[in-house]
Amino acid sequence: MDPEFSAQLIDHLQVGVIQLDGEGRITSWNTWVARHSGLSTTEAAGKRLEEVFPGIQASRLPASIEQALRFRLSSMLAPGLNASILPLYNKKADRALDQRMQQLIYVTPIRHPQCACLIQVQDMTATVRRERRLRAQSSKLIATTYRDALTGVGNRRRFDHDLSQLFLAAQNEQKPLALLMIDVDDFKAYNDRFGHPKGDECLVMVARALQEGLRQKADRVSRYGGEEFGLPLPDTDLEMACVIAERLRQRVNGLKIPHPASRTGGHVTVSIGVSAMVPRLDQPADILVAQSDLALYTAKDHGRNTSVYFEPESNELRSCS
Amino acid sequence: MIELSEMQRDALGELFNIGVGRAANSLSMIVREEVELSAPSVSLVHPKDVASTLLGSDLRELSMVTIDFAGPFDAQTILLFPERNALAIVSHMLDPDMTPEEMSEFEQEAMCEVGNIILNACISSLADEFQVEFEGGLPEHHFSDSDGLPLFGEDRGQVILLLQIQLGMRQERMQGHLLFLLSVSSMQALLDCVDQYLERLGMG
Repeated sequence: MDPEFSAQLIDHLQVGVIQLDGEGRITSWNTWVARHSGLSTTEAAGKRLEEVFPGIQASRLPASIEQALRFRLSSMLAPGLNASILPLYNKKADRALDQRMQQLIYVTPIRHPQCACLIQVQDMTATVRRERRLRAQSSKLIATTYRDALTGVGNRRRFDHDLSQLFLAAQNEQKPLALLMIDVDDFKAYNDRFGHPKGDECLVMVARALQEGLRQKADRVSRYGGEEFGLPLPDTDLEMACVIAERLRQRVNGLKIPHPASRTGGHVTVSIGVSAMVPRLDQPADILVAQSDLALYTAKDHGRNTSVYFEPESNELRSCS
Repeated sequence: MIELSEMQRDALGELFNIGVGRAANSLSMIVREEVELSAPSVSLVHPKDVASTLLGSDLRELSMVTIDFAGPFDAQTILLFPERNALAIVSHMLDPDMTPEEMSEFEQEAMCEVGNIILNACISSLADEFQVEFEGGLPEHHFSDSDGLPLFGEDRGQVILLLQIQLGMRQERMQGHLLFLLSVSSMQALLDCVDQYLERLGMG
């Protein structure tokens, strides 16, 4: 191919092409780079890339060029891992705001007297933007699949996911993790008396009271099933978990939702089973659920509207209040 | 059948650890946190045994980055992580809330670059110490399940240098493998380089 034709072809590419000699000096760059950098190829020729763009020193690009020149190895620099390395802009206004083009950069060695290293730059701005939009949408979808449609708190999938994540973190960091299992007392009788729509309303009110009674936003109540809710509490020991359980129990009690068929005193109440542990590496997360469940059954046996905790050292079950 | 002597194995282990050490530095720069990388073991396996060796380490869904190198010996290098581990690596670097379903082209590129950094560092460490020159291509990233691994077992004339890779980041440890696929003659050339290197150190 004659050199004039090659130069024209390269200038028409919708990709940045920068050529370096064996010393790492720019021999030329194409129209695309000139347009987006605001510097002509004659202004850049003979200089090293970091002289023209001092800001690239902190990036991986100089090392990649070095690898191409010294070891003849190729590199790619992805937009996700490297904040826009070169000061290239799509529009004049972007330059004023320093909104750089998102870039995917390839650095490859070349064997030619005039060019020892080829740098290609692709504009990924649109891709990154689309990626962000898709991510936002998928986060929204994921939020939907993790939400209980009736009560608006987390669903069973959320609970399982949260518990396994928190359990793993507690194992790794050797910090305590507590779990509250919360069950509405005599809920079947409530449904039988008032019908399912009223039963649903009751669950919504209880769920809201529980969620609003939490310490911080990160604590998340999930509907475990039927009228049972689960609440994992990171970095929480047994004592603190009991305090939280009692507060939540009293909150629900305080709603005073009428429940004539209840065996606990005329309105809707909950029973709560509590457990907490610093999990060993060989323990599965089910242990915590089993212990809290056991405590919950005991709370039911003890007349409901009460919180009971599992004492792991003695395997005993005691009242939180 | 080619085998590694104790001396050759130690030398390769040392050289690869220099390489992954450098890669760890580059990765730390990107995530602005400490990244630990080590290659605790080197072994020579035959293609037909690779699948079983790897399957022993819960590799089913695989993320792999490959780069071809040409020089005194030619090698196809592959950095293999179980998909879960690959995802953990990339999500640590990009976005801790990402789920596997969201792993898109964008993250594949990031994984590609991580592989690029590790593989280049290993090869440049060999090139440095062996005083030879290689030519390395651009990295490619694929997902694959281990049943569909097209790379192994087809060419009976190949041997595979297998390295275990440990990557530690933010209190998590992830295991992967680094594979060098070499023809028998390339493997011989690699071992010649190792022997010359040992001789220069007065250990040949």
